[in-house]
Amino acid sequence: MRTTRTTLAVASAVLCLAAASACSAPSDKNKSSSGSDSSAPIKIAVVDAQSGENSALGAWEYKGAKLAVDEWNAKGGVDGRKIQLHLFDDKGDPTTGTNIASKLASQGYTAMIGTAESGVTVAMEPTLQSARIPNITSGQSPQIIASKDPFVFLNGPTSTTYDATLAKYVIDTKGLKKVAMISNNGSYGKGEHDAFLAELKKRGLSPTTDQVVTTSQIDFSAALTTIKKTNPQVVFIGSEEVEAGLIVKQARSLGITAPFAGAAPQGTPVYISTAGGTHADGTIVSSPYLSNDANAQTKAFATAYKAAYQQTAELHGAKAYDGTSIVLTALKNSHGATGKKLADAIRATRYDGLLGDFSFDDTGVGIFATKIGVIKGGQLTAAAS
Amino acid sequence: MQVFLQTLVGGLSLGAVYALVALGFALVYRTMGLVNFAHADVLMIGAYVASTFTMSEHLPFAVAVIAAIVITGLIGLVIERMLRPLEGKDFDLMLIGTIGFGIVLEALATLIWGATGRAVPSPVSSGPLHFLGASIPTYDLVVVGIAVAAMVALTLFLERTRHGIAMQAVAMDYDAASAAGINVGRSNAIAFAIGAGLAALAGALVGPLLYVSPSMGGTIGVDGFAAAILGGFGSIPGAVIGGVVMGLLSSFSAGHFHGYSDLVTFIVFAALVMIRPTGVFGERTVSRA
Repeated sequence: MRTTRTTLAVASAVLCLAAASACSAPSDKNKSSSGSDSSAPIKIAVVDAQSGENSALGAWEYKGAKLAVDEWNAKGGVDGRKIQLHLFDDKGDPTTGTNIASKLASQGYTAMIGTAESGVTVAMEPTLQSARIPNITSGQSPQIIASKDPFVFLNGPTSTTYDATLAKYVIDTKGLKKVAMISNNGSYGKGEHDAFLAELKKRGLSPTTDQVVTTSQIDFSAALTTIKKTNPQVVFIGSEEVEAGLIVKQARSLGITAPFAGAAPQGTPVYISTAGGTHADGTIVSSPYLSNDANAQTKAFATAYKAAYQQTAELHGAKAYDGTSIVLTALKNSHGATGKKLADAIRATRYDGLLGDFSFDDTGVGIFATKIGVIKGGQLTAAAS
Repeated sequence: MQVFLQTLVGGLSLGAVYALVALGFALVYRTMGLVNFAHADVLMIGAYVASTFTMSEHLPFAVAVIAAIVITGLIGLVIERMLRPLEGKDFDLMLIGTIGFGIVLEALATLIWGATGRAVPSPVSSGPLHFLGASIPTYDLVVVGIAVAAMVALTLFLERTRHGIAMQAVAMDYDAASAAGINVGRSNAIAFAIGAGLAALAGALVGPLLYVSPSMGGTIGVDGFAAAILGGFGSIPGAVIGGVVMGLLSSFSAGHFHGYSDLVTFIVFAALVMIRPTGVFGERTVSRA
């Protein structure tokens, strides 16, 4: 009896572990197709966080990419070949990302969409470059393009563009010269920090204080109190959605009333809900996609998105939709090319997308403008210039 | 001075949460000699349950917290029941079992609530109190108050009730307690349930301060575990002191070392543990391995 019980316990422990690993396993079922067969489906991977703190980004990005692929497949795919989209969960973790990169290399993926995180993108670059797999990322850290990897492309602007537009509006247009900075030491946060600081220096200004926090920090009292003491007119924030929301929430509870200013994460529903609607109000956001109502194209995208997912479309879905559409257009133009030829075809693609007109340079950046929005009543709206 | 005070306030409210987490670790270790690695994930489930009751069902915060404690207490009982056949036999497998449960709980949370996570609005709407130039968020006072009340209640339970004293007896001498007619299984079950309840309380309290997601147990769990070690694993007052020290340590190192704060926190932690390997209260009395 005792032995049976022990065996049962051992079995249950093993089952626990097995069940858990099954739950987190990415969908990767069709291994038979390959890019070399001219009638076989074209395999494209979406690599993004599907679990962990940044999984909201991953979920949005996958929805945008899938929408583009579904639309192309409905129209017959690329030269009659269907496109297969497979999702991998990188958990927002660079090490997991590099493992996935090796998997993509060995399983004949033609291209990769993702990731939404700069740190993971940078970690995956060397493996994808040696496997000659073009990838189009939602990351925006200048670090991504520093290596001049011919296989990496950005589906949006870099932090440099985001922050140049932001600084122009905050400092030049609004005349707010007393700027405090708070950013995290992750890949994205550092990129934002460096880009915005460079803009300040260009104008002969220095921040009233330059606070750096860690990506896992949960109490920001020390940094925020220092910021409060310098009495800034605006606080620049370089951090992902959830952390930025927590920073703002704590800042308001400490009595900091100055508006916050930042890039794309600060325009998302996750940032707004984490900070709390009224706390986020007044946040100045630099983003290439402010509203679903910008033009006929964004309206059509938002309608299709709503129909497919019963959710309101936002920036990351739009970015991934643009990125995926660019890859598919390049595949069509090059008649299903792979490797360097596909990368060259992507670079040659001119694409009028939801975020603007894409025209890639040598570094893989295709779009060089953002717009300014302000959060009002818990909603991102275009700023009156 | 203002920065110092503000950091102190932030560190204390964080410390109160760490203390609750450390208490749960300590209680289970004290009675069973087992480190429950599922503890931080039980905390996460507690945070989700409490947030679900307040956000979806619009129940008062206190009711949601109690519901979270009851539900996770039951989870604690299930974990203990599953591990019981191994009690006194295979200690390593029990440890792995708790890790397995932790992973299962995280996967379950993802299945039930999705991977994205949620922001929980503060249950207290009044503004901060001002004291010597520092702003004290009202909710932080609630967190510290509830944490202190829970610690007092736990101490009274362990020192003044029959079940509590029996649990201490089991901790001191498993065989003697067993021979004296104390139901060791029940004692362990109570320890697990209370430990899980404490985790749920910490999770429910920390929800409105942070962001509730399936992976939230990670950071809080590590810091809470470190707090338990710092205080002296298994010691109840040690857990409280360890929690407060860890809270203050991480807040002050964040203030002084910015991006390197985690590094500094754990270097200081390692140094403290090297000087005093058994922690502040040094009660490594339980060893069933």
